Parts: sequence; structure tokens; C-alpha cells
Amino acid sequence: MALAPIGLQHYLVLASMLFGIGMFGALSRSNAVGVLLSIELMLNAVNIMLVAFACFVQPADLNTNLAGQLFAIFIMTVAAAEAAVGLAIVITVYRLRHTIQVDEIDLLKG
Amino acid sequence: MTASDVYVAIVFYATAITMVVGGIGMVLSRNMIRSAMLLILALGGVAVMYVLLSADFLAIAQLLVYVGAIMILMLFAIMLTPNQVDLPGGSPQAQRISAALTSLAVGGLAIGVVVTNPWKLRSVPLNIETADQIGNMLLSTYVLPFWIASVLLTVGLIGAIVIAREE
Repeated sequence: MALAPIGLQHYLVLASMLFGIGMFGALSRSNAVGVLLSIELMLNAVNIMLVAFACFVQPADLNTNLAGQLFAIFIMTVAAAEAAVGLAIVITVYRLRHTIQVDEIDLLKG
Repeated sequence: MTASDVYVAIVFYATAITMVVGGIGMVLSRNMIRSAMLLILALGGVAVMYVLLSADFLAIAQLLVYVGAIMILMLFAIMLTPNQVDLPGGSPQAQRISAALTSLAVGGLAIGVVVTNPWKLRSVPLNIETADQIGNMLLSTYVLPFWIASVLLTVGLIGAIVIAREE
């Protein structure tokens, strides 16, 4: 096979592509749950990057050997809290306005 | 390339193509349930990537937290917001075009940076069992972020209950 072995850059390019895809979804979807789904994809793309750095990049010392993986764990935690609160807000908005299309939720518009 | 390199390459490319196709299908699908199912496909692919990157604990956590918990939460939210499942017209054309241009610019810039940047690579990629080291680090060096994350989760869950509760 003429292909190079899978290295750091393969993972980083894949994560960049997923980040771009998620960004397109977050900006173009009109359903609030769809926006949240796209944000989850963006967070996961960044997690792949962090874990790839932990695997391939030379750490400053042995104490930071697994720092990238720990960052990914904290991102996962924050994403769980964000999903719970975001979906609670979506359900409350649906109960009040009977829509979750983001361009129709304009209570604060002057 | 050794035999294990070829094996890793096959798994990587198969998973990567699945994830990118799943992600594109997720953002383009007009049906929210189908969108969520395709996102589960992409998130499962992330778990496979963690295995390839020798992050065994994170791969299991990814399956439990994302595929198991967060996606069930999303499916419940889709279920509790009826009549929104199929989007009527989608977003306006201008918004979709500008979103595509912005994400192409950001993604292209990111790819350019990661390909051209000279990374300081390890001589041997990480290849250890991580679960015990992660546990030790969480309870020694990173104990303060660990506590804050616990408080954040508690506050987030209580807040979600308070916000979504029927008056």
C-alpha cells in the first residue's frame, strides 16, 4: 500500500471536517433540537483532536502525559450538563409558544 | 507498513467515512428522528477513534455518556415537541448559503493549520492502559476541576428539573 500509516494529521483533518459539518448544522438548522444536535457533533470533533494530541504529541513532562484525555472528560461532563439544561429550555419554550423554530422565538425582539 | 498499520488504516478509513457521511446526513436530514439516529452513528464512530488512539476509558465513557444518555435525552426532547418533527420549509436559502460559506471557511482554515503546523511528535505514540492513571490524576493534580465539574453537573440537573417542571 502506498498510503502513509495513520498519524496525528489524519485524526486532526477528520476532526476539522466534523467540526465544519457541525458548524453548518448549528448555523443552518431552524429547529432548536437540531441546533443542539449539531453542537454535540462540534464538541465531539474537538474531543477527537484533544485525544489525538494526547496520543501523538510530546508532553512537557510525565505529569501531563494524559492531560488531553482529561480535558476530553471535562468537555464530556460540561456537554452533559449543557444538553440537560438546553433541552429543558427547549421543552419549556415549546410549552409556552408551541414552536421551537429558532427564528420564531423572538420574545426579546424590540 | 506493518500488518497492524494496515489493520489500523482500514478501521480508520471505514470509520472516518461512516462518521463524515453520518454527520452530513445529520445536518441535511429534515426529519429530526433520522437526524438523531445519524448522530448516534457519528458518536459511535468517535468511540472507535478513541480506541484507535489508545483511550480505552474514554471510549467506554463515550458509549455510556453520549450514545447511552445524551442521545436518549435528545430523543425524549424530539418526542416531547410534537409537530416539529418535519420542518415545514427549513431555514431561508440565504441563511443556508452563508452558513455553508462560514463553515467551509472555518473547516478549511482548521485543516490548513493542522496540516502545515510542525507538531512536536512523540517518538512512540501513547500505548498504555489509561483508566488507573486517569483516576489518579482526577484525584490528585486535577481534583479542583473534578469538584467543580461535579457541582456543575448537580446544578445543571437541578436547574433542568426546575426549568422544565410544570407550574
